[in-house]
Amino acid sequence: MNDSLAIDARAITKTYGAGALAFTALKGVDFVVNRGEFVMLVGPSGSGKTTLLSILGCVLTPSSGSLSLFGRDVIAAGERRLPDLRLANIGFIFQGHNLVASLSAIENIELLLELRGRSRKQSRIEAMELLSAVGLADKFDRRPSDLSGGQRQRVAIARALAASPPLILADEPTASLDASSGLAITELLRRLATERGHTVVVVTHDNRIYHLADRIVRIEDGLIQGGETTDQTRTQRAQP
Amino acid sequence: MSAGPITTRASLLTRLRVMSAIAVRMMLHDRLKSIGTLVGVVFATLLANQQAGTFMGLLEKNTMLVANTRADVWIVPRTLPTLQQAAPMSISVLHRAQVTPGVAWAEPLAFGGASLKVPGGGTEQLTVVGTRLPRGAGGPWNIVRGSINDLREPGALFFENAERVKYGGMNLRSQRELNGRTVHAVGFTWGLIPFGPAYAFAEYDTARDLLGLDRDQTNFVLVGAQPGQSPEQLRDALRARLPDAQVLTSREFESKIRRYLLTQTAIGVSFGTSTLFGLLVGFVIVALTMFSSVIDNLREFGTLKAIGATNWDLAIILLVQSVLFALSGTLLGLALVSRIAEGIRSANLALILPPWLYLGTFAVMTLMCISASSLALIRVRRVEPGMVFR
Ligand SMILES: Nc1ncnc2c1ncn2[C@@H]1O[C@H](COP(=O)(O)OP(=O)(O)OP(=O)(O)O)[C@@H](O)[C@H]1O
Ligand SMILES: [Mg+2]
Repeated sequence: MNDSLAIDARAITKTYGAGALAFTALKGVDFVVNRGEFVMLVGPSGSGKTTLLSILGCVLTPSSGSLSLFGRDVIAAGERRLPDLRLANIGFIFQGHNLVASLSAIENIELLLELRGRSRKQSRIEAMELLSAVGLADKFDRRPSDLSGGQRQRVAIARALAASPPLILADEPTASLDASSGLAITELLRRLATERGHTVVVVTHDNRIYHLADRIVRIEDGLIQGGETTDQTRTQRAQP
Repeated sequence: MSAGPITTRASLLTRLRVMSAIAVRMMLHDRLKSIGTLVGVVFATLLANQQAGTFMGLLEKNTMLVANTRADVWIVPRTLPTLQQAAPMSISVLHRAQVTPGVAWAEPLAFGGASLKVPGGGTEQLTVVGTRLPRGAGGPWNIVRGSINDLREPGALFFENAERVKYGGMNLRSQRELNGRTVHAVGFTWGLIPFGPAYAFAEYDTARDLLGLDRDQTNFVLVGAQPGQSPEQLRDALRARLPDAQVLTSREFESKIRRYLLTQTAIGVSFGTSTLFGLLVGFVIVALTMFSSVIDNLREFGTLKAIGATNWDLAIILLVQSVLFALSGTLLGLALVSRIAEGIRSANLALILPPWLYLGTFAVMTLMCISASSLALIRVRRVEPGMVFR
């Protein structure tokens, strides 16, 4: 186990269902990400991208294999500790924005800040800063339904970054956006992640944003493709 | 510099506050569903209180004579099950009571059914109460016309004002035939219609005559305590002297009547059933609307779970919503039911809603809503946080 790794997933398998209906979506995946790295996970539909991301996000338990986040063994922690592990480590960006519809933009962000122990006052300040960082300071009191798709996804990014969780996981964050806002959103995420030192894994189909990645990992039929090993990656990427 | 795991967490109190705020926002956001839930609570409050209030009114009708007589203690026949089944007992009970230490006064009370000949034809039943003047401990009360002293006239009675039309357009001084004797009205009372024929009041001797009660018999004996004597002390003293009669404080007699109605008649069961039915309907409405609102918001609950909310956090949301629905629905429902109670109040029918019923409604509705939300809670607990990636 290596403490400098953000994600250290080994021999991960995931089988959905049982018996005749059993379907193995991941067939032994090694997936290692350095701290501060911006990785894109690509592959055809049904190849297991979302399954892998869900396991990394501690919302799905693998059938076998080991997973550590920032040196902490997730599997050994047990199911009951997972909500807390998520709160401690992970910011999520979903394909849909998944904001709480009844809360305003700023309240959606404050929610996470408060769950992460910020005071009410501090939450308001930090949430406003995050909204400014994604260029939506003037829309702070809008409900998600009063925002455009791109604006909602910006709020979702701000929420994911709230209180600075070390790992940001995004599943096709640009899927519901047009090409130019998709690119803008990913550029924003990339810039903020670099500035703030977040490790990011983005699942995407969108080859127009590939250039923003430090590294692209391809998955096909439940297996990681290509000769790119984690050791190569590590030497290839000098620590900043 | 790379970010590290976040080590700080919201305190329990903060979680409570944050989740409560979300609960309220969700309620206001899903306005239609919330109104549906509220309707369920209001409906249950209305139905349950209407039934309970009518039932309380009914109980009150049965006990009002005992409650309004100015006696501390009642002496009644030994096997008497309830007021309406009055039977003669020896007048010697009265004489022995009068000389019991602690007794300030003791008077006989006559009680029995009589039939009144209506001038236009037909007869009307009524309940004659014979009370001893000048005290008039056994009534009448709620007098709308006339003076009690006029009951000294031979054949004089007070009748129920609300029944005057039924009695053939009865007025002051109207003459009628009651149990074959000529009587006349000298006054009227309002609302003294028990669960049965209305009360009519006469002087004890007039009543005894009308009811065919022997001179050495009486139906009840009313006893007043000397100052400083509690009803219970007086009762005990009388019991010791009157082993062949039943001696009860007024309160005891009232609860005996209530108990009789509850256990020996179907009234309790029938009102209890309809009250429960009201609660059940409310329960079902609340359970279904809250459940369907959770189904509508499944993605949000999934998102909250994914970002780190626990099942407890989500349970708080549902709990807060249940309590708020219960409180606001009960408030609305009670406001409505008390207006209805005022609207339908008549000599025949009164919805009685004592303060404890109001308080009890809040408690019952809160329990009802919390238990109704458990269906939603089960669903919320089963939400997979992973669903948000689907
Ligand atoms: N809950 C589930 N039960 C059964 N099979 C599932 C479940 N979730 C996913 N699968 C299957 O596992 C395989 C991998 O699914 P996954 O969602 O990880 O693919 P993906 O790479 O994200 O695809 P897409 O690009 O379409 O989102 C698919 O064949 C899918 O049908
Ligand atoms: Mg997917």
